[in-house]
Amino acid sequence: MPRTLRKSLPHIVLMAYVVIILFPFVFVVFSSLKESNVEISQAPFALPKSLYFENYAKAWTQAKIDKYFVNSAYIGVSSAVIGVLIAAGTSFALTRMKFRNSSKIVYQTILFSMLIPANGLFIAQYFLVSDLHIIGTHWALFWPYTAGALPFSVLLISAFMKSLPNELEEAAIIDGLSAVGLFARIVLPLTLPALVTVFIINFLGNWNEYLLANFFISKDALRTLPTGMVGFRDAYQMNYALVSTGIVFSVLPVLILYAFLQKQIIEGITAGSVKG
Amino acid sequence: MKKNLKVALTLLVAMSTVLAACGKNNNASSPEASPNESSSATGSESPGESSNIEPFTVSLRHIQIGEPQKFRKAILDDVVKKTEGEIPGLKFELDGIEDAVNRFTKLPAEMAAGNPPKIFDMFGGNADALKYAKAGRLLDLTPILDELGIKDKFLNVFSQFTLDGKIYGLPIGGNMEGVFYNTEIFSANGLNAPTTWDDLIKAADSLKAKGITPFATGSQAGWVPNMLVNTLIGRNVAANYPNGLTDGTLKWNSPEFVAAYATYGDWVKKGYFTKGELGKTYDDMLNEFAAGKAAMIFDGSWRSSAFKAGAVAANLEGKVGFIALPAIPDYKGDQTSINANYGNGYGFSSDLNDNELKAVTAFIKNLYNDEMQLRGLLEDGVLPSMKLSDEALANVTDPLVKQVMETMSKASSSFVHFDSVVQKAVNSETELQLQKLIANKATAQQVGDAIQKVQDSENAKK
Amino acid sequence: MKNTLKNPAVYLMFVLPTVILYGLFFLYPMFSSVFYAFTDWDGLNPAKFIGFDNFTKAFSDDQFHVAIWNNMSFLLFSVILQVPVIIVFALLISNVKKFQGFYKTTVFIPSILSTSVIGILWGFIYDPDIGPIAAFLKFFGVEPIYWLAESKWAMKAILITNAWQWVGFYIILILAAILAIPRDIDEAAAIDGATAPQRAWYLTLPLIKPIISVVVMLSIAGAMRVVDVVLVMTNGGPAGTTEVMGSIMVNKAIKYGEYGYGMSLAIIIFAFALVLTAIYQLTFGRTERIEY
Repeated sequence: MPRTLRKSLPHIVLMAYVVIILFPFVFVVFSSLKESNVEISQAPFALPKSLYFENYAKAWTQAKIDKYFVNSAYIGVSSAVIGVLIAAGTSFALTRMKFRNSSKIVYQTILFSMLIPANGLFIAQYFLVSDLHIIGTHWALFWPYTAGALPFSVLLISAFMKSLPNELEEAAIIDGLSAVGLFARIVLPLTLPALVTVFIINFLGNWNEYLLANFFISKDALRTLPTGMVGFRDAYQMNYALVSTGIVFSVLPVLILYAFLQKQIIEGITAGSVKG
Repeated sequence: MKKNLKVALTLLVAMSTVLAACGKNNNASSPEASPNESSSATGSESPGESSNIEPFTVSLRHIQIGEPQKFRKAILDDVVKKTEGEIPGLKFELDGIEDAVNRFTKLPAEMAAGNPPKIFDMFGGNADALKYAKAGRLLDLTPILDELGIKDKFLNVFSQFTLDGKIYGLPIGGNMEGVFYNTEIFSANGLNAPTTWDDLIKAADSLKAKGITPFATGSQAGWVPNMLVNTLIGRNVAANYPNGLTDGTLKWNSPEFVAAYATYGDWVKKGYFTKGELGKTYDDMLNEFAAGKAAMIFDGSWRSSAFKAGAVAANLEGKVGFIALPAIPDYKGDQTSINANYGNGYGFSSDLNDNELKAVTAFIKNLYNDEMQLRGLLEDGVLPSMKLSDEALANVTDPLVKQVMETMSKASSSFVHFDSVVQKAVNSETELQLQKLIANKATAQQVGDAIQKVQDSENAKK
Repeated sequence: MKNTLKNPAVYLMFVLPTVILYGLFFLYPMFSSVFYAFTDWDGLNPAKFIGFDNFTKAFSDDQFHVAIWNNMSFLLFSVILQVPVIIVFALLISNVKKFQGFYKTTVFIPSILSTSVIGILWGFIYDPDIGPIAAFLKFFGVEPIYWLAESKWAMKAILITNAWQWVGFYIILILAAILAIPRDIDEAAAIDGATAPQRAWYLTLPLIKPIISVVVMLSIAGAMRVVDVVLVMTNGGPAGTTEVMGSIMVNKAIKYGEYGYGMSLAIIIFAFALVLTAIYQLTFGRTERIEY
């Protein structure tokens, strides 16, 4: 008896924690299928009386979640991809090419820049993007997102590239490959796992970013999900069922992505944080 | 399973490489993703008659979002459609955001960065319109008003939009702030309409005892409770309110001001307002009143449109009365004065090309005319900012709107809201300090002292 | 033969994009922040140099004191309360065989979501009229608590939301370190008769000290720069009781147009993070060195 208890005790504690984690989601999903605030407040824990799917149609069209979704996906993916490629190129130059001194300086600068709290630069960046005349366009998010992810990406990819054996490139160079060819044909494919990791981390960061997105973009049609959702809440705050639906819409895609890539995501983020 | 995943990932990266290439092309070739540039690119050349119409867009920022604003939005939509029909190639790009977000966050930031929308919702006064006008961000509208010949059609409404004799904004309408009360609740509880101070207090006390909130309030945003404070102060200050605040002749910590804050604090302590008001929004406030959980709200006359058929609080149609705050015993000002504002309207960017200027002129022509002003009054309960004929005014059938107009015409004098006069930092301090008063973290005197401190330092800046 | 890797043009082609982008969007704003922090710039009129006025103003402002204290609450809450809980949960998960993958996946979920969406979600949970907590309390006859509207609760409510979002993330970090420890050490100790808690205390904990140190430093950085959860949930209210340094910075700059002042606050935030990290490194984190 005590033995089974000892065995199940950790599970009891952990399950309790899992319930705390999942409860808000379940609550929101239930609420999104209820007809009105009255039904939510009278029986918040109960299953919806009847599945009221109208909220979903309404939220999709009224909140323009489809638009926000596309914007977030498009900025998130493009900036993460460009960021990864730029970082990979730089990492290659820093770790494999023979410019020891300048590489050291660049690397140290990047290390130092990891210390800068990005939020603090937000006001100065605001004026920078308006001086560049890209404010109010997606470029105003694309460039800061891409640039902001570089230090971390370079550090992680460099660490990975350093571990590649030297013989590889010697052989390749004897075969007549140029530096660019070496990078594109040999190093890049070998670094793929690290690249995917970095891509996912950058993508999630961009997908969830709120502060810049809120102030650098004002047109509704260009908004991303996090800011679009806050606007949606402000406009429909008396209708909790509808707001719940909006939350479901904005959370679901990330959860699906997570379900498929959870191993990569977890490994990537742990690797990143342990190293960075 | 694992293999599949790897294949998928490889595909993803392969795909992203292609995407990246596309992305780079995008960079170099055309800024498709930036509508800003595409709108200005078409600027300089004026299309020769109908032969070569180049499409162009004009950005328009409005605050008509959500259910309660739908009547105003409908009017705006009609104006937009009409204007687009008149100017070849014109397409308005509507951008609706929440009122306070626009006024206090977005527009100031855009003004600082020098890239406001071409047409935007704007408030008058030192903290808004006049500040932007001084910085050269606003279009001088005097020539347009002359061209359209409508300058004299406006009532005397430009004071908060005029700098050095030039007009920089057009108020869309007027409003007064007063008490809406649920006549059904009042009669069901045997209470007199709150037209005198004694009746008001008696009603509040007995409603409170019966578990009905006397005043629904949503003080999460400080401007909402500030409405009542402004009227209380206006009633207790004999003259020069609120203009005397910026030249130092009136002080927030003088006895008249402190007494007004004390009255407000007293009401909080007596439980006259919604419990947890600091977490409630302006919409929550209407919601509570509409649900019959509260008997009164102190609100702007624009709210009258919520209590009619098809509106958010349609269930209260015909059951709401509107009065000015009753005369307050021992208060020193004019006790039949009211707060009246022509503070909100549209402003226009000074950075316009010829096409955009045409669009703006047509927009003004289509929005500021008898028809739209009357529609605003009839459909949305907004008091006109332009002179309407008596016949036109006779169209008003909504009893609530009639009450608002009567209340306004009965008032002996009026004062504007202090937020259109004091500096922005001062206004923010009033919001913070009032919330502290509500949270019982400051006394009325401390509130007055704290605000005056900011007022002094702002006045010294000039 | 090796000259291919000494081609300066290729080297520049690879390095310059990073240097230019990062320099333009991060280093340049950093230097311009430092410059404007000493001016009274309001965004509309030319900036005037005013020395250290912005900094003295910040430190004499009561509201900023509240904010500093709130940032410290974030820090203390995460280091003193969260970290032990995180370690215990990580140890628990590492010790179970069944469902380990499930726990790992589930606890991590909140960390991949947008803070702003989480803010909206929890605003709903805390709602005194229709939120589930109020309903739960009502069941026991307790009056609803106005979590986000009462000054004594609002900050705690935000801290709990923040913990909900990030605890799982740190659990996974530590769990990864625990699982990286070679099995045989643990098994040998178990054969020698050490109980699970003993093994955790004497074997595992010392081995994962470096990663705990990383978690603490991430917590310091996180606590200093926190801003969006506050903006979305309370916007600093009620009556300014939940302002943090970041939210004051954003509001002062954008809402009041005090850009110079806002930038001086950015520098103060940076300084706080730097000093606290240094203090931690010099005291508790002394023996650890993080390898890149």
